[in-house]
Amino acid sequence: MTTVRNSPETLDAPRRTGGFAGYVDGIRAVVGMELRQRLRSRGWYIMLAIWFVLVGLVTGLTWYIWTSEQNIHAGFNGSAGALIYEIVLAFVLLLALLVAPAFSANAINGDRAGGTLAILQVTLLRPGQILCGKFLASWIAGLAFLVASVPFLVIGVLQGGVGIGEILVSILMIAVEIGVVCAIGVGISALANRPLFSIVVTYLCVSALTLGTLIAFGFGALLSQGTVMANQIYYKNAGEQYGADGSLLPSNLKQIGGVTDQDSDYACYGPLVEQPAVRTDRVAWLLGMNPLVVVADAIPYPSNDSSLTYGGGMLESASQAARAAQAGPDSTTMCANGKIGPAYFGQTTPLWPLGLGIQLLLSAGIWWLGWRALRTPARRLARGTRVA
Amino acid sequence: MSQPREAQQADAPGGVEFRGLVASGISRNFGPVRAIEYMDFSAPAGQVTALIGPNGAGKTTLLLILASLLAPDEGSVRVMGVDPVANPSAARLQIGWMPDTLGVWESLTAREILLVMGRLYRIPKSRLAARVDELLALVNLVELADQPARVLSRGQQQRLSLARALIHDPAVLLLDEPASGLDPGSRIALRRILRELAAAGKAVVVSSHVLAELDEIADRAVFVNAGRTVLAQTVDQASAQGRRYAISALDPAQLAGQLTRLGLRFEAGSGRRETVSLMLGAEPDAARLLHDLVLAGVAVTAFAPAGGALEETYMSMDAEQR
Repeated sequence: MTTVRNSPETLDAPRRTGGFAGYVDGIRAVVGMELRQRLRSRGWYIMLAIWFVLVGLVTGLTWYIWTSEQNIHAGFNGSAGALIYEIVLAFVLLLALLVAPAFSANAINGDRAGGTLAILQVTLLRPGQILCGKFLASWIAGLAFLVASVPFLVIGVLQGGVGIGEILVSILMIAVEIGVVCAIGVGISALANRPLFSIVVTYLCVSALTLGTLIAFGFGALLSQGTVMANQIYYKNAGEQYGADGSLLPSNLKQIGGVTDQDSDYACYGPLVEQPAVRTDRVAWLLGMNPLVVVADAIPYPSNDSSLTYGGGMLESASQAARAAQAGPDSTTMCANGKIGPAYFGQTTPLWPLGLGIQLLLSAGIWWLGWRALRTPARRLARGTRVA
Repeated sequence: MSQPREAQQADAPGGVEFRGLVASGISRNFGPVRAIEYMDFSAPAGQVTALIGPNGAGKTTLLLILASLLAPDEGSVRVMGVDPVANPSAARLQIGWMPDTLGVWESLTAREILLVMGRLYRIPKSRLAARVDELLALVNLVELADQPARVLSRGQQQRLSLARALIHDPAVLLLDEPASGLDPGSRIALRRILRELAAAGKAVVVSSHVLAELDEIADRAVFVNAGRTVLAQTVDQASAQGRRYAISALDPAQLAGQLTRLGLRFEAGSGRRETVSLMLGAEPDAARLLHDLVLAGVAVTAFAPAGGALEETYMSMDAEQR
């Protein structure tokens, strides 16, 4: 008889009070439970091993291509470090976006199918704690993949040409992007009934962010026809030039009147005329949501336009293209408003905070819906849902 | 979604504060399906209440509502006076729930599962390890405590599930089909544990199909069918309302003749052996009949209730439904 009887006082009295510490401890308990299960599953290690081999393969191939390129063109512009770093980084980001849904998008409905979600819900855990715990666990799992690819990024750094700040920021941003995908996946897994469905939907979300944003930007730009006020361009180093009316321009700048702006190469002159232009600035936010743009744009690069430290690599080009789109025709059209636009967009006009902000808003929206679906006692249930 | 009914219904008839679990007038729909309609249910502290009904009668839905997982569309629930819809955390400290689907984290060990559950109920770390050991001993899983749960048999997982439901020493225990999958030894152990819990002042609710077993465990029973409460009675009442007895004798013809002489209606038994069965009133009636038969020289070899007291009610209820 004594085995059962455990007077409530002894167990209840010093029960930790709720509050913030209690809330965090509940999240930690969920995270601990999830990670412990993950560490005991063999599939997890197989995935990590495949990942490691894949990233290693890409690094090796990049290295090989670079050296053979070196042999053909002596003095090939750029350093091996920068090339390896950029390609590996882009590959890691892409692959991470593909892997992250696999262990976030069934986090909650997988438990529901296994009958363990209700067991968690009947404890003192709140819906937010379940969401946070599952999210953190899947994020940590995703970060393990990022950590597994760090050695290859370090190879790039050791080859020179990449600053330590650049690599830290890029790893940080990839970590954030993995977090965004995990957050979306966990939120959808709270909403959808079946794990298969939520995994597919999460993959669709990832492709919407990576490919969909590019397509949407393209269509959006086509639909955003506008005008810009600009005058004529004069190329100082060119031979014969024709004006807007087809007449031959004088070869000497001094002979043209009304120069509004000039530098060593160009001059703008003449009256401002309304010209058709694509108002990319209206749809640049779509481009900003692209994870690659977020990562590329966040990586610091020196804001100068001539002496490029690592050869103006593709990440920098992506960032510059995105910033040009954001700046719109007022900055990208030559002689818009009579001014020579900047050839280079500095750190003062980054696009990534906007893009990341939209991504976080999207995740927050899905989480809010997921939180509603996890509330107990449940009032509404999705069709076909079984609580336990 | 309709408003829950007013709270005063939670009080027991007579207005005295009722200790235990009360659900009054609860309804719950799943889309167009009415799973529960105006069901009343109560489980007093210190007693084992059986929840009996055919498949699809709404037993599991009722238990989910009582376990604070589902909100009733109408009606109210009070767990030791706490409304789980308004204050789920306070209610959950009082509720231990063992579902019919065995949710087990397969790669975690029994001990780990209990430790995590204790943590989720915010049991202080200093006490938790001892509490877990105590429960593992109670459900007889000490030797398997550090094996991953996937190697446990269904019955062992069932016992783990019971330990999990008890981790925070709840005042109300809701068990959905706890005996299914248990071997006879574990059933007897379960019966002992549940009686001990009731003796310790807990309100224990057991849903089960094994009716004969409930006779031994339960103090009272609530019969539900098609989403409604059909009947609530104590096991003593059930025993007193008359039940079917099976009798066999060395010479069946002599037994039949004697019963006819006594003016009793009987029918051939449904069992394998050649028996007769007949309805008798309370237990004194049965004792008198046995006495009469023996005096008349009938060589009675077996004289026993044909089924449990609750089974009798269940069968009569079922007949009414048809």
